[in-house]
Amino acid sequence: MEQTPIMQSLDPEMMEPILSRREAISKGATASSKVMAALALGSIPIALGALAKDVYGQTPADVLDVLQFALTLEYLEADFYTRGVAASGLIPASDVAIFTNIRNHENTHVTALQGLISGKGATPGAKPVFDFTAKGAVAGFNFGSTQYATFQVLAQAFEDTGVRAYKGQAGRLINDKAVLTAALTIHSVEARHASEVRRLRGKKGWITGNSRDDLPAFTQPIYDGEDNSTQAGLDITALGTGNGGIGGVTEAFDEPLTKAQVLTIVTPFLA
Amino acid sequence: MARCMQYLNQHPETGLNPFPRLAAIAAGAQYACQQRGERVTEIWTGGGYGMARKTESITVSSTAQLWESSTRRDFMRLMGIGGAVVLLPSILTNCDSSSSTGTGTSGAGTGATVTIDFSKGDTAVLQFAYALEQLEADFYTRVAANFGSSGLSAAEQTIFADIKNHEVIHRDALKTILGTTNGFTLTPVYAGVNFSSRDSILATAKAFEDLGVSAYNGAAQYLTNVNNLLVAGKIVSVEARHATAIADLIAPKTTLFSLTPFDDAFSPGKVATAAQAYITEKLAFANAPATFVQGPNNNG
Repeated sequence: MEQTPIMQSLDPEMMEPILSRREAISKGATASSKVMAALALGSIPIALGALAKDVYGQTPADVLDVLQFALTLEYLEADFYTRGVAASGLIPASDVAIFTNIRNHENTHVTALQGLISGKGATPGAKPVFDFTAKGAVAGFNFGSTQYATFQVLAQAFEDTGVRAYKGQAGRLINDKAVLTAALTIHSVEARHASEVRRLRGKKGWITGNSRDDLPAFTQPIYDGEDNSTQAGLDITALGTGNGGIGGVTEAFDEPLTKAQVLTIVTPFLA
Repeated sequence: MARCMQYLNQHPETGLNPFPRLAAIAAGAQYACQQRGERVTEIWTGGGYGMARKTESITVSSTAQLWESSTRRDFMRLMGIGGAVVLLPSILTNCDSSSSTGTGTSGAGTGATVTIDFSKGDTAVLQFAYALEQLEADFYTRVAANFGSSGLSAAEQTIFADIKNHEVIHRDALKTILGTTNGFTLTPVYAGVNFSSRDSILATAKAFEDLGVSAYNGAAQYLTNVNNLLVAGKIVSVEARHATAIADLIAPKTTLFSLTPFDDAFSPGKVATAAQAYITEKLAFANAPATFVQGPNNNG
């Protein structure tokens, strides 16, 4: 079952507040034909992108680069879960609802990012072909009916990577509030996914130190740097003891990855 | 009661929940009342939640009305203008909100005024975050102090102990960052929360975490310093991890862990209105931003 993106199921009448919102947005934007067309089609992702362009009157290369980068990651996740949910006998019946939900979200993220990119007058990157054996690092993985444990391992790896990837790009979006806010609302959903998959695997929903726990060694770059205990120049360990020690200090803050770090992690999955 | 809960959380036909926040808040109140066997005569939620001031409201007297497009439209419109939704007893079972238990039973918003002045820029956003983290840290500290009669299993207590640590760290980090000049201390109140009820604890925790996620997602747009934005990002994803862990205790292996493809992004005003119900001091904004850029859910 394909889930209808929630934004597309809104009443047509609710478009009215959206339209009036443009009047409230600073910098004197006026709705372009793209905004109106997107709203007429009931597509908020496209409308968001078009509105963002209206407001800022520019399409900074940085923002587009972030969007295309994020789209690649969402393609990866969407393809992974689409194949996983479709694979016969892979996911036990008890867990199908979880992974179907995540699959639907990732597909919606793909659509939304494509809309944001199109709204800025650019062409969304094409969906790559993926190799979920990671060039042999996950030897023999082909969504087989006996490979659920490996499927969960990869899901955790992708979600924990996704959280760090979006976080690392937020700063590049600071001047484009619509894209920033859209990206953040995806970022925290990736964190929800990560927590759910981790708990499904019997792990804590959060990351302690730079531990990859029972994940294979090739995933270590996904967790490197998560043991940071300095925030905003402040040594968090000096705030006091008894709050879970260094473990608690590192769990309390998720850390970013740079685009280069993420690409190093993801590249083996690109066929 | 079970039937009402089901309707509040999920539409029987579409499976979608148009008002996840409404359901969470209502569920929290309902759980608490159920535990105490008391009666609720009126529950305020959304824009007018916990506020004595009443601007405009719509009345919902049956679950069916929640699914009518006119009600939904009114709801969205009201949320935009700071209005309120009244859930009549017929929808929320019978319970009396005026007879609450726990520490700080009443008086939300009756104390000294704490003003967050947005002319301070990023500092104001951090102050806003600090207010929420004080609330969360205090809540989980109280839960942990009452583990013995909480009804939480040993495994659940381990999760709550972790979350308590994280929230205390968030609070203390923001306190130190803000310093004495920009710091302030809030006094939480917990009308309607039963710390001896597992269900009440879980529902309240879920509501707090979801509110925190929505708050950071919405307030980030007012930050001008990338380092502050990064710190907010480092915290918000942990709050989201918390929300999911708690959802997993409430309804394991369902979609409650992440109901929508995009999380909410709430304006500071909307968040403050919801948080005010748990704070003795009167939260006030000065020079509040005139504009708010909505997130994909368009409900901030």
